[in-house]
Amino acid sequence: MTNTATLAVAGARKTQSIVEACAGGDPTTRRLVLTYTLSGQLDLEERLRAACPPASVPEVCGWYAFLLRHWVRPFLPLMYSGRRLGGLNFDGLPQRNGKRIVIASGEDRFLDGDSRAYKRFLSKLAIDVADAADGTVITRLQRMYDEIYIDEIQDMTGYDLDILERLLGSRSVIRMVGDMRQSVFSTNAQDPRHKKYRGLGMLDWFEVQRKAERLEVDYSSTTWRSVQAVATFSDSIFDPALKFPATESAQDKSSEHDGVFTLAPEHAAAYIEQYQPFRLRQTIATALPQGITATNFGISKGQTHDRVLIFTTKPMRDFLTKGTRLAGESACGLYVGVTRAIYSVAFVMPEPDASYLTVWTPTG
Amino acid sequence: MITRIVVRGYRLFVDFELEPNAGTNIVVGDNESGKSSLLEAISLALTGRINGRWAQDELNPYWFNVEAVENYFASLDSGSPLPPPEILIELYLTNSDDSLQYLLGVHNSRQEKVPGVKMHITPNPDYAEEFAEYMADDDRPAILPTEWYSVDWRQFSDERLTRRPKELGVSVIDSRTVRSAAGIDYHTREMLKDFIEPKESAVVAVAHRKARHIISTETLKSVNERIAEQGDALHDKPIGLHMDQSASASWEQSIVPQVADVPFAMAGQGQQAAIKVALAMNRSAGTTAYALIEEPENHLSHTRLTKLVDRIEALAGDRQVFLTTHSSFVLNRLGLDKLVLLHKGTRAHLGALPADTVRYFKRLSGYDTLRLVLAEKVVMVEGPSDEMVFERAFRDKHGKVPMALGVDVISMAGVSLKRGMQLCSALKRHAAAIRDNDGKEPEHWRVPIEELLENGKREVFIGQVADGPTLEPQFAKVNNDEDLRQLFDITDGDKATVDWMKAHKTDWALTLDEHPEVTVSYPGYISDAVDFVS
Repeated sequence: MTNTATLAVAGARKTQSIVEACAGGDPTTRRLVLTYTLSGQLDLEERLRAACPPASVPEVCGWYAFLLRHWVRPFLPLMYSGRRLGGLNFDGLPQRNGKRIVIASGEDRFLDGDSRAYKRFLSKLAIDVADAADGTVITRLQRMYDEIYIDEIQDMTGYDLDILERLLGSRSVIRMVGDMRQSVFSTNAQDPRHKKYRGLGMLDWFEVQRKAERLEVDYSSTTWRSVQAVATFSDSIFDPALKFPATESAQDKSSEHDGVFTLAPEHAAAYIEQYQPFRLRQTIATALPQGITATNFGISKGQTHDRVLIFTTKPMRDFLTKGTRLAGESACGLYVGVTRAIYSVAFVMPEPDASYLTVWTPTG
Repeated sequence: MITRIVVRGYRLFVDFELEPNAGTNIVVGDNESGKSSLLEAISLALTGRINGRWAQDELNPYWFNVEAVENYFASLDSGSPLPPPEILIELYLTNSDDSLQYLLGVHNSRQEKVPGVKMHITPNPDYAEEFAEYMADDDRPAILPTEWYSVDWRQFSDERLTRRPKELGVSVIDSRTVRSAAGIDYHTREMLKDFIEPKESAVVAVAHRKARHIISTETLKSVNERIAEQGDALHDKPIGLHMDQSASASWEQSIVPQVADVPFAMAGQGQQAAIKVALAMNRSAGTTAYALIEEPENHLSHTRLTKLVDRIEALAGDRQVFLTTHSSFVLNRLGLDKLVLLHKGTRAHLGALPADTVRYFKRLSGYDTLRLVLAEKVVMVEGPSDEMVFERAFRDKHGKVPMALGVDVISMAGVSLKRGMQLCSALKRHAAAIRDNDGKEPEHWRVPIEELLENGKREVFIGQVADGPTLEPQFAKVNNDEDLRQLFDITDGDKATVDWMKAHKTDWALTLDEHPEVTVSYPGYISDAVDFVS
């Protein structure tokens, strides 16, 4: 069995594919499922319990917990003699200089006074401890789990990629699922390591792993959420050179207002009145018309709404009117926003007729 | 499988280490050697419990090593106080089993990368202030305040344990017998649970609840009606009698095994032990990798014990068994090579025993091997007359019987000198053997066992051929003939003293033994043997 990375489109039921693979596979196979977010973890646990025979429900573990439990905790004294792991220091940072750059070194860089591991350097600590344990971290894991599933792979950066590479070299079968186009979070935002593999750059990392014959990459391009018009628009956000296959919609419902539209700011209130769209913006920096609220793209991840209304930024308008490509991170944000919708997406912009999209105006 | 046991500060154990056998371990030792404590320690680390109760609830000052506690309290008044006593129990497991990998880590005193579990009992840092306050008190007794201690039960991966890892199933068979009508002990109940499938368990629970309900609503109906009539007089709300339907009244508490129509608690003591072993065997080795058995010989007749030992042997087939015993029979039958000898909380290191000697004692299972095993110094003699003469010689020299000075005189009763010496050599025992020369030069007997002997520690004592082949001529030679005839009351004038003694082998030795006031001389090899063990 080979390791795989499945790159899915938004609404492709990525998590469901993990549940189905676990429920449908050999019940004697020992499985571990890793997720990035806590809410994702609880949801996944529930769905796995419902779908799998009681004796073979896979273990579900968050990414940080996985690093703490299986990489750092059992072998920490081999790296830092006499130390026992206290837990995770989520927000704190080791000693920094006036320029806010971390200057602590040695064990103080990784562990606070209560022996809790700093989240920022956790994956580096995991790699260091694994080196000190001389391969036992991986041999232990591969003897515990036949298959390891990793959800939200697009969020992995920095030393997490080193962790992944070591897992790919283990006897366990690694199944990664994610969507590069939704990389709006990252596990190690400040980590300078493997900077070129950030966001969409992870596609290059997959290519390296594929060439080293550690990994096969496949695509899952059917969306069960958005209607075809929305799905096709979402594909257009990215450079075709990235060679993502075209998204196909399996959504068989439709409404009287399907597709992608533009509208003038003065019509926003009327549009909201008529369609009750879920309102989105890139960040808090995007100005909103008086009396209207909106959610940031990043926060909307994982949600589904009938319709969305997006308040545009200048680069977004340039993209809609002139076809100017958005920078990687902004493109991912917009992709997340657009793909929340089942039926329709509407953009609020001062010159709604400047794009090729249909302009919406209030009737009567 | 447990490959190493470390016990520190628990009861008799100061710093104890044992690498147990893969199959059976027969734990042998005098009273107060730590046999039961070893089984307790294993059970504590495996299950977190002792006699079915959590360690934290059972923790008391007597768990701590007395010496460590005394040293600690003594040190408090000195300039350099010691750290408070702690208890550490570690079980190192084989690394061959994938299902134990989650227990693997380096959090053990040897920092080995192996799976394992440990229990560490230390002062609770949350109560550091209270602990210090207690110690500072002038009136405090020299007893550890275990209320301020906490029990930390963990895997070697440093992950906390809250219940027994399912791979480390254990059957505990203690020698205590149940006399209360309440039924059976925790361990036996645990074993019984394995008989009942979850589905059956639900069915029984429902039927049990129903039956209680019927008793409440029908059988107790007339009673409740009568109470209701007097209701106002008793309380302002109606009072009724109902069967207990709470969790404490669960059916598990009401079910007891029966043996041939006799409830378990009413069965004979011996039978109870046999039932427990039978129950333990019923559990699959998959769910119980370990069996802890305490003195299975208690309350059993010899025939019953034979059967029980057979069962224990079968039980050990795919489990690791730890068994304490006071019975030579159990030891011989299960195999002397399985012996784990304890002495005051330390393990005596044993040399290897040849396989044929192990088999030899298995066949000769009635032989009192344990005396040899437990004795401080051993004198092996061929028969009762040698035993009595040696004892008398010893008394003449020391004014005390040999046993009083830790010397056990054991009649070999047919066991060959070589087998006995092999055992003593493996036990590194201080031993003297006395034998007849039977007409051959002492060297003839000594050479074949020379490698088992050790200068000043193990020696064989044999009389010179010229002084006669057996004890009688040897003894007669060094004593005045008239004196002997008088002492033994030999009236037959035709019979030579030696011949009479040969014909009355034990009689003369007994007479000698009964007349300590009569002064006699002893053959040189007997006196040498006495000196050797003195």
